[in-house]
Amino acid sequence: MANIIYKRTKNFEPDFENLLEVLNGQTPKRPVLFEFALNNRIIGQLSGEQAEDNSTRLAPFRRLIKSFEHAGYDHATISAWRTNTLRFPKGEIAEKESHSLNAGNMIYDRQSFEQYAWPDANQGDYDIYYDLRHELPGGMKLIASGNGGVLENVIDLVGFENISMMSMLDEELTTEIFNAVGSRLLTFYKIIAPIETIGACIVNDDWGFKNQTMFSPNMLRRWVFPWHKKIVSAIHKAGKKAILHSCGQLKDVMDDVIDDQNYDAKHSFEDQITPIETAYKNWGSRIAILGGIDMDFLARHTPKEILQRSKLMIAKGIENGGYALGSGNSIPDYIPDENYLAMISAVNLF
Amino acid sequence: MDKLLEQLAHVVEVGKIDKNTPYPPELKDKDGASELTLQAIAQKIDPQKILNNGLMPGMKRIGEKFSRGEAFIPNMLIAAKAMNTAMVHLRPFFLAGSIKPKGTLVLGTVKGDLHDIGKNLVKMIMKGDGWNVVDLGTDVSSEKFVQALDENPQCIIGLSALLTTTMLSMEDVIKAVKYRNPATQVFIGGAPLSQEFANKIGADGFFADPHSLAVHFN
Repeated sequence: MANIIYKRTKNFEPDFENLLEVLNGQTPKRPVLFEFALNNRIIGQLSGEQAEDNSTRLAPFRRLIKSFEHAGYDHATISAWRTNTLRFPKGEIAEKESHSLNAGNMIYDRQSFEQYAWPDANQGDYDIYYDLRHELPGGMKLIASGNGGVLENVIDLVGFENISMMSMLDEELTTEIFNAVGSRLLTFYKIIAPIETIGACIVNDDWGFKNQTMFSPNMLRRWVFPWHKKIVSAIHKAGKKAILHSCGQLKDVMDDVIDDQNYDAKHSFEDQITPIETAYKNWGSRIAILGGIDMDFLARHTPKEILQRSKLMIAKGIENGGYALGSGNSIPDYIPDENYLAMISAVNLF
Repeated sequence: MDKLLEQLAHVVEVGKIDKNTPYPPELKDKDGASELTLQAIAQKIDPQKILNNGLMPGMKRIGEKFSRGEAFIPNMLIAAKAMNTAMVHLRPFFLAGSIKPKGTLVLGTVKGDLHDIGKNLVKMIMKGDGWNVVDLGTDVSSEKFVQALDENPQCIIGLSALLTTTMLSMEDVIKAVKYRNPATQVFIGGAPLSQEFANKIGADGFFADPHSLAVHFN
């Protein structure tokens, strides 16, 4: 057991109601943090358990939950890649610090579509989400995300350039592929959303590049957005909140996200596209805005600069409501620990 | 002649590859880039004119639309497919030397980074603008860029990166290239990049979208 490098405050107690206030567009009674994912090093530093303990099924989750608690979150995010639930089998993908959106394709045509081993979304260890109730501190809830979203999984299965061409040359097959992925993700969220340990769901589906959406808004409206609308509706039906995590330039489809899909919150922002301050100003009165301290900013600025920017964002959130502090995307291992800690410690100034 | 070349430009712009392809629906069963290029060759139109006044304007228009946010990557991909299909018919004229490229662009995604969509878009646009493109692929080391420079001494070089971490290695590539030949121009592009970063690492320019690079040289 190593030293725990940080705790929000001595008497901090997680209370998901605070995050719910943010997701409702309100100002909570104290500043709230939000994060999609933490790297293994910082999880170790925050939990005091450097190495992941895999001796039992629940042990790695216990460590993860402890790290979120010590950092001062009211939630712990459980991504589906950590649980043995819905996953679309992919081909071999070469990994460096990134991977190609054209790699690992399994579906090229109707024959490969029909031969693909489509997973059964009803199968899998969903009990894990129930069993974690004993591991959650009082007041804390889980936020569950999927193993990629509708567009992400289709791109992984078909390849970005292939699905781009297919969308124009074989619309029928394109529709069937999107439906095959979307229907399974819908089932996944229908199963997890009602679980009592889960306070909200993240639907994680990257739609944009730096300058625009990957597909035209009309193509997204035809093949991707209807599934998001159904997924959000299922999450809401279970009485839970729906958070969209989607990277890239989405300005042309934000009205769809807010007014048609009915998401409660948007996560993932980039300074080179729409800085969090602008995003909050543009959309903050219509949808909760989460995170947004840019990854490059977090990686390359000083703790003092990070603290200052974080403090200013919290102040805006207190004034207008509907904001929780966090990174623009996640905390990968290239973010220096001291920079991450500078960001989250900003909540202690209020 | 002008009417045929204008038709050719149009089918490239809208991505009508050949008669059999169903896209775009409004040109169903009409001639595409393949048939129209063959017709132009049969009419003894100068191959350089077919390229300059037919194919390239089509790619230029779709590139401009992309820059303005009026076209999307799938539109670019299918336009490039139409152009490449036409280029197959022009290849013998390239080999015979009757068509000359504007120059050579050596292109690659820097070491550690496997993203390729941005790079591929630049390749399409520049090829469509009449450049010879040497695509080194992804995860390309400084040594490979320098080797490509040795093989193409008059080239310009384009570097792509999508990550905060991998973009830092662009500076190493630029140093290695400039050490070999200070006159070689190196341009950068990718999501986390900016003109400020380009200035800092000694790049000759940053372009926010692929069409801007082609415009820069025109």
